[in-house]
Amino acid sequence: MANFESHSNRSSAFLALAAGLLVLGAWPAPANAQQQTPGYAVERFYSSAPGAGWFVMDDLNISGGLGGAVSLTAGYARNPLVVTSPDGTQKLALVSNEAFVDVGMAGTYHRFRVYLNLPVPLAVTGNSGTLGPYQLTAPSVSTGTNPDTISDTRLGFDMRLAGKPGDALRLGAGAQLIVPSGARSDYVSDGRYEAMFRLLAAGDVGRFLYAGQFGVHVRPAEGSLPPGGPNGNEFLFGASVGRRFTIGKDWDAVVGPEFFGESAAHSNYQGQTGFEGLLTGRLERTGDRPHLRFKLGVGHGLVQNFGAPEWRVLVGVELVGQRPANGPSKP
Amino acid sequence: MDCIRAISGRISLHTAPGTTSRALILQRGLLLLVSILLASGSALAQNGSPVPPSDDQPTLMKVLTDDGLHNTDDENWNAYGQFTYISSWKPSFHAAYTNLNGSMNSLLPGAERSFTATVTLYLGVKLWKGAEAYIVPEVISELPFDQLKGLGGAIQNFELQKGGTETPQIYHSRMFVKQTIGFGGHHDAQESGPMQLGTSYDSRRLVLVAGNFSILDFFDKNAFDIDPRQGFLGLGFLTYAAWDFASDARGYSYGGIAELDWDNWAVRVGRITPPKDPNQLAVDFRLFKYYGDQVELEHDHRIHGRNGTVRLLAYRNHEDIGRFADAIAAFEANPAKNATTCTGFNYGSENASAPDLCWAREPNVKHGIGMFAEQYLTKDIGVFARGMYSDGQTEVDAYTSTDRSATFGLLGKGSSWSRPRDVFGVGANLGWISKIHAQYLAMGGIDGFVGDGAIDAAVESAVDAFYSVSLRKWLWLTGDYQHIVNPGFNADRGPVNVFTLRLHGEF
Repeated sequence: MANFESHSNRSSAFLALAAGLLVLGAWPAPANAQQQTPGYAVERFYSSAPGAGWFVMDDLNISGGLGGAVSLTAGYARNPLVVTSPDGTQKLALVSNEAFVDVGMAGTYHRFRVYLNLPVPLAVTGNSGTLGPYQLTAPSVSTGTNPDTISDTRLGFDMRLAGKPGDALRLGAGAQLIVPSGARSDYVSDGRYEAMFRLLAAGDVGRFLYAGQFGVHVRPAEGSLPPGGPNGNEFLFGASVGRRFTIGKDWDAVVGPEFFGESAAHSNYQGQTGFEGLLTGRLERTGDRPHLRFKLGVGHGLVQNFGAPEWRVLVGVELVGQRPANGPSKP
Repeated sequence: MDCIRAISGRISLHTAPGTTSRALILQRGLLLLVSILLASGSALAQNGSPVPPSDDQPTLMKVLTDDGLHNTDDENWNAYGQFTYISSWKPSFHAAYTNLNGSMNSLLPGAERSFTATVTLYLGVKLWKGAEAYIVPEVISELPFDQLKGLGGAIQNFELQKGGTETPQIYHSRMFVKQTIGFGGHHDAQESGPMQLGTSYDSRRLVLVAGNFSILDFFDKNAFDIDPRQGFLGLGFLTYAAWDFASDARGYSYGGIAELDWDNWAVRVGRITPPKDPNQLAVDFRLFKYYGDQVELEHDHRIHGRNGTVRLLAYRNHEDIGRFADAIAAFEANPAKNATTCTGFNYGSENASAPDLCWAREPNVKHGIGMFAEQYLTKDIGVFARGMYSDGQTEVDAYTSTDRSATFGLLGKGSSWSRPRDVFGVGANLGWISKIHAQYLAMGGIDGFVGDGAIDAAVESAVDAFYSVSLRKWLWLTGDYQHIVNPGFNADRGPVNVFTLRLHGEF
């Protein structure tokens, strides 16, 4: 009877959850902006899943029993969108300042992870102007004018396919659904559902760690391409390498660079590419207690295009809790 | 005296003044007396904050706990969710006039349909000892009656937000940190639920909250465990309609709250952000210049073995808002300063013969005091009342146009007929405006919600009756009927009937 009740509860809970998702999914996507209201998601820094270690890459240390992670990442980017006139003689910093907070929550079980990233724009401002035939209006986002905005929300699922935590090679795959949110004119959203599919790799070799990713961002092109903006579906790529240092009894530090970018994959494979380097350092607690992780990153757009800023600074904190696969039933 | 006249019924400002009969005054006086008595009597009401699920409700947390993967009694994290769809229909009703002379805040007299659909995730995590953090993303799609115009506290669906659209909007409704500091006493177990980790606090404790939240998450809460989304539909039942608590257009605020719980007593104070312009989404963060302050004293008691609660709440807002008297004075001194000529923030009235608050906005104070009480009559049935008196000199900045309000009713569960998860209720919501407010509306002025171009000022009242059938342990279907008399405080219009269906699920 107890089993039946438990099964019944489980079924009902998942039915309720499914019904909720159905209501969410049944909603139409926000109407695409009209031609007279251009704007798109400028940011191409997609923070990693909560608990994934790096800022962008994924350490694929998904294991054990039921676990979870929460993360808070705050960042500032300088000149993430500088538009050049068609003749190349003028430049306009359409988005010159961008500050955000990204709140993430993840649940893990064995080799699986589901997560939610909620980016909250704190400030998105820039300079309006005319470049050739384009009249460009800069965004004007602040916490005062947009007190509760969540920009494009990402729902993700990752799976470790091969290798175990600590192995020299771990492979995984992940998918993300980007739920549109926020106004296009604020340059925080494309205003439509999008998806990402990624192949992931990571490993530990002695004191060294590495990670990498390659994937596709399904971001269909619009009829009229915005100047300096996205040009259809994009390839995602990135890699990181770092060295681990032991600091005291319970803490490690990992220092190393991350490189990541996106490139439009339209018919001629000649789309815009944004490529960015981040020098990162993180301090993480080791041992059996929930892992607390503090992260700092300073970046520069190596190939500046939309989303790859002149420079960027990031800070983050993560709390990762995970139980051994057959460990005690402790929350 | 002005207030007594205003809150006790019609003032007939657009007709000859002073025509009120003695009998009518007595009738209104009696109504007011009954309202005040009820407001200070027993009570049970709902609030803007969700409540923990029942023990047998199959939530995700419950399933994980049943499987030994979680412990709802001592949580490091939790996640809950809800979805609600509310569809209302209003048949046509009588109106002597609508949007007279270009005033534009009348409830349209034709038949209309309104709906809201919301999905909410409640995510909580323990940060350190006594510290909890919550974030509540929410998505809403809505279609109000006539852009939410023409009603005071009798707005038929409390989920409606100003400025909402049918296009779904995602936003964070709450994002706050709560720190609890224990001072001893007995252990006070907290059930796991939305925006509450399962844990145990000292019964004597200090609770500090900072961030983004609804003030109704902490003030004017009730103990009847009726989730607002299972209870009354009318906005006037959510909290005091006359409490113009500072908030953005969705009803959320930034700020801080301190609460001292001491066994059966609690006192809480809070300072929160007002909107930059009345009833708009943009928030003014200058908390030392513009703010909404509130203080609430609460006492839990038992009468004949049944629990009850009494609360006293006072608020004082310092905001960039207009006084009705100033708007009228500006117009009378110079008719060019009318509702069509002001270039500052305004609601777009096209009535050139009317004053407008736009000409009068400056730092002003608004304040009020209210009382709430609730009392269980049986294990699952209780009665409630709440009443508030606000000064009524300034415009609505965030909540409703009501200056004085009284609400009373009965809420219960269907235990007596073996349906303990069913919820039912019947109640009345009364709202008044001040004399100067009525005078401003009579001259054709509008505020954030009401203004028909003329007015026969009267108490706006709504009777709300509902029954929520529990289709599953996690799913409720509600039928609701509301009868609204004198919509927009105007006896020349209405009554209005509203029929509503609601589907609500929790997971």
